[in-house]
Amino acid sequence: MKAVILAAGEGARMGPFTASVPKVMIPVGNRPILEYPVQALVANGVRDLVFVVGYRRERIQSHFQDGKAFGAKILYVTQTKQLGTAHAVIEARPHLDESFLVLNGSNIVDAPFVADLLAQAPKPAVMITESEHPRNYGVVTVRGKELVGITEKPTELISNLINTGAYALDSRILDEIEALARDGKHDLPSAVSALAKRTSVQAVRTEGTWIDALYPWDLLRLNAAALKEVPQVRAGTIEPAVTIRGPVSIGEGCVIRSGAYLQGPLAIGPGCEIGPNSVLLPSTSLGKGVRIGALTTVSNSILMDDVILGPTSVVQDSVLGSGVSARAGLLAASGPGDVQIEGEWHSVPQVGGLIGEDVEIANGVSVAPGTVVNERARVESGARLRGSIPAGAVVL
Amino acid sequence: MCGIVGYAGRRNALPILLDGLKRLEYRGYDSAGVAIVGSSLQVVKDKGFIANLEAQLPSLEGSTGFAHTRWATHGAPSKVNAHPHLDCTGKIALAHNGIIENFASLREKLEGRGHTFVSQTDTESLVHLIESYYDGDLEEAVRKALHDVRGSYAILAVHADEATKVVGARNESPLVVGIGPDENFLASDVPALLRYTDKVLYVMDKEMVVITPKGVTIKDLEGKPVTRETQRVTWNLEDAEKGGFEHFMLKEIHETPKAIHETLLGRLANLEVNGFLSKDITSVKLVACGTSYHAALVGKYIIEEIARIPASAELASEYRYSQGPSERPLVILLSQSGETADTLGAAREAKRRGCKTLGIANVIGSSLTREVDKTLYTRAGIEIGVAATKTFVAQLVALYLVSLKLGQDRGTLGYDELDRLKDQLRALPRAAQYVLNKADEIRALAEKYGNARDMFYIGRHANYPVALEGALKLKEISYIHAEAYAAGELKHGPLALVTKDTPVVAIAVDDPTYDKMRSNIGEVIARESPVLAVGTEGDKELPKFVDDVITVPDIPWIFSPVPVSVALQIFAYEVARLRGCAIDRPRNLAKSVTVE
Repeated sequence: MKAVILAAGEGARMGPFTASVPKVMIPVGNRPILEYPVQALVANGVRDLVFVVGYRRERIQSHFQDGKAFGAKILYVTQTKQLGTAHAVIEARPHLDESFLVLNGSNIVDAPFVADLLAQAPKPAVMITESEHPRNYGVVTVRGKELVGITEKPTELISNLINTGAYALDSRILDEIEALARDGKHDLPSAVSALAKRTSVQAVRTEGTWIDALYPWDLLRLNAAALKEVPQVRAGTIEPAVTIRGPVSIGEGCVIRSGAYLQGPLAIGPGCEIGPNSVLLPSTSLGKGVRIGALTTVSNSILMDDVILGPTSVVQDSVLGSGVSARAGLLAASGPGDVQIEGEWHSVPQVGGLIGEDVEIANGVSVAPGTVVNERARVESGARLRGSIPAGAVVL
Repeated sequence: MCGIVGYAGRRNALPILLDGLKRLEYRGYDSAGVAIVGSSLQVVKDKGFIANLEAQLPSLEGSTGFAHTRWATHGAPSKVNAHPHLDCTGKIALAHNGIIENFASLREKLEGRGHTFVSQTDTESLVHLIESYYDGDLEEAVRKALHDVRGSYAILAVHADEATKVVGARNESPLVVGIGPDENFLASDVPALLRYTDKVLYVMDKEMVVITPKGVTIKDLEGKPVTRETQRVTWNLEDAEKGGFEHFMLKEIHETPKAIHETLLGRLANLEVNGFLSKDITSVKLVACGTSYHAALVGKYIIEEIARIPASAELASEYRYSQGPSERPLVILLSQSGETADTLGAAREAKRRGCKTLGIANVIGSSLTREVDKTLYTRAGIEIGVAATKTFVAQLVALYLVSLKLGQDRGTLGYDELDRLKDQLRALPRAAQYVLNKADEIRALAEKYGNARDMFYIGRHANYPVALEGALKLKEISYIHAEAYAAGELKHGPLALVTKDTPVVAIAVDDPTYDKMRSNIGEVIARESPVLAVGTEGDKELPKFVDDVITVPDIPWIFSPVPVSVALQIFAYEVARLRGCAIDRPRNLAKSVTVE
C-alpha cells in the first residue's frame, strides 16, 4: 500500500511561522510535524510515500531526502498551482497503485490511527473524530458506520464529528475529482462526499491520536503531545548542581550551566547553551543552537533553532521562531489574549508571545499575552508590545 | 585523478564493481574499464561515462576483479588509454590512480627488453614492470616493481592464475579497504563501499594490501606486516543520493544551513584545538588549492580583523616549492577531501620548515589529517557535486572559529566582544537560509544575465575572494568565461575589457569599503555594463544605480562572505541549469585533485 502525503500548502494561518518554511516543517517536539505521520505510516509497514510538495518544497526535500533515514521510500511530486487537495491527488496519481492512502502532512497521527485506516483498505474509508471546534472543519454526517456526506465549515451545527482528512481510496475517486473539477471544485472532501453517494464509504472512528494545528497557539498543544514520548538522552556537558527531573532529552554539544533546573518533558536540541540558574519547565522544546542566558525561565514554549534569549527573561506559552534574538529581560508571560491572525481576531485563554523568525529584541521589552510579532521586526529597548507588529517593522 | 574499486568475494563481481564505480564518478569520468578474473582474465574498457561502458558490457563471470574510472593526465581520453592496462602476456591487469613520474625511462628500459606498449599512459609502464618481476606471486612482483617507481599512486592488480586475489598499493593517492563477511573491497573513496559495508581500513602511504574473500593483509614495501584497526563509517548511503533535488549541487547548497550548524556544534563553548592556538603564534599562513584557496583568502581577512594578527594566503602548489623565510607562522592547510596532492605536499613542506600545522578538512581520516599536527573538521557531510558549495561555507565557519579562539587566547577580544561575535556566528545558518529563500528571485536574474559570453565579478576586502569564488563557480559549471577582480584594480587594466555585453556582478554589502565599491560600480556603469549587485537588505541607495540587486541579510560585514557566497553559488547553478550543462560533472574537472 502506498500513501500520498499532502504537504504543498503554505499554512497562512500559522502567521509568522510559515514565512520561510511550509506548515508541515514547523518543529514540534524538535521534529517537523511531517515526521509524525511518516513515522506512523512506516510503523504500519507503509513505506512507499508520495509527497505532494509546493510552497518551499526545498525545505522538505533537504530534510527528508529519499526517505531512507526514516525507513521510507519517498517520491516528490510538485504541485505547481495550489488548486486544492483533490488536484494534489491527481498530481500524485501516476505514482500510485489501484488503492492508496491519503494523509495530511500537517497533522500529528500515531501508529494506531494509521492501523485503523489500513484495516479498511482497499475499501474506501474516511477517518473521523470528535472536535470541540467543528465549525473550523468539515463536519461529517454518518448513517451507521457509513459516510453520508461532508459539509465544509458549516454555519449551523450538524454534529461534532469532523473529517480528519485521512482517507483510504481507490481509483474510483478520480472520476469524482474530474467531474467536480469541471465545476471548478478541487477539494478532496467534496469528491469523497460524491463517491459516498455512489458506493459505500466507511466512516471510521479511532482510538488513535489525531491532532491538528490551525493557529500558532495550537502548536503548543502539538508540542506537548509530541513531548509525551521524549526519550531520556544526556549528551554534551552538564555542569555540577544541575537538577533534571522527568523525561529530558539533551542533544549533542549542549552545555547546561550550574544551578539550572530542568523539569521534563523537555526536548533540548544539539548545541544549546543553558545559562546558570535558569529554569526550563514542562512541554518546552529548544531547537538547535539555542542560547539561554542566566536566571531565565521558560515554560510550555517552543524556541526554534538559533534562538538567543538573554538573562533574566520570562517566556511562557510562547512560540519563538528560528533566529529570534532577545537581549536581557524579555517578558513574554502568559495570560488570556486576543490574537490577530490574517486580519481576524481570536480569543485565546492562555497564551504568551508569538514571535516570528529573525525578530530582534533589545533589552527590557515586555510582550502582552497574544501579541504577534511578525518576522524580521526589530524592537528597541524598553518597548511594550501588544497587538500585531508587521514584518520588518522597527518598534521604537 | 581517478576512481578505483576492487572486489574479492563469493558473489559475481561485475554488478558490485559497476555500482561502486558509479559512486566514484565524481572523481573522473572521461573513460572507464573493468577487469574480472573468472576462468580467465577478462578486460573491457571504453571512452566516456560509466553508463557508456555498462551499455556495451558482455556478462563477465567471476568473483574477483576491479574497475576504474579515469580522468586523463597522460594521454588523451580514449579507449586504448583507458584502464585497466595489460602486460604482454595478457595475464596481469592493472589500474592506477596518480602519476608515475619516471615512466619515460621505465618505458624505454622495458621496450629495450622487448615489451610492447599499446597506450601513451604512464600506467602501462608499471604493468610491464610487474610482468618482468613476476615469478608466480603477484604480490611479490608488485612489491619489487614499486621499488623502481617514483610518483604517486593507488593501484589495483590481478593475475589470471591467482583468481581470488586483488593486490593494491598506495602512495599519496587514497585507497580504502572495505571489510565484509566472506568478501572484501578496495576503493578510492568510501561511497563506493557503503552499500556493502560500513567497516573500513585506511591504507597508508607506501603500503601494500592484498584482499581475498577470506581476509585482508597490509604490509609495507619491505614486506613487513602492518596492523591497522578497522573504523566504522558514520554517514550512510542516503547522504550520497540526490533526495528529490535535480542535482547534487542544488541539494548541497540547500544543506548549507545544516553544514554551518554542524560545524559550529558544541564549538562555541569549547573549540577542540584549545591549547594548540597558544599565545606564541605571531602570524598565520593559510595554504590551499582551488575553492579552498578562496576560503583561505577570506580567512586572511577574517583572522586579521578578529584576531588582529598578520595573516597571508598562499596557493599550495606555489608554497611547497618556494623558499621559506625564517619566520615560523602557524600554517593552516585547507582541503575538502583532505587528499589534494599539492596541499599534502605543502603540509610536509610546512613541517620541514618547523611550523605548527593545523588542517581544516571535511573527510574524516583523510591523508591531510595525518600530515598535520591538529585537525579541525568541517562537518559539512559528504559533498558529491564537483563544484564545492556547502564545504566552502563550512571552511569559512571553521576559520571564524579559529580566529575567535586566536583572538580570545591572545587577549585581543574582550569578553563582551567575544560574546557578541559568538551570537553572530550562531545566526549564520539563518543568514544562509535567508538567501536560499530567495532562490526564485535569483533564478529570474540568471535568466536575464545567463546569455552572456563573458562576465566580471568585483569585490573588495573580505568579499574580493568571494568574487573570485563566484567567478570560479560560474566558469566551472556553466562554462561562461568569468573573471574576478579586486574592485580597486579595475582601473589598472581590466576596465578595458568591460563593455555593454559584459555584465558585472558587484559585491557591495554594507562594509567599510562600501563607498569605494559604489564609485567602482560607477566606473563600470560608465562603460554601459549591466550591473548585478549583491547588497545588504535595507540599502535603499544601491537599487537606484544598478540594474538588479540580490540582497543578503544585514549582519556584521565580517560575516557577509557566508550569505554572499551562497547567493553566488545559486546564481551559478541557475545559469548552468538554464544552459543545460552537466552540473554535477563538469567537463575536464574532478572533485579532488590527487595529482599534482
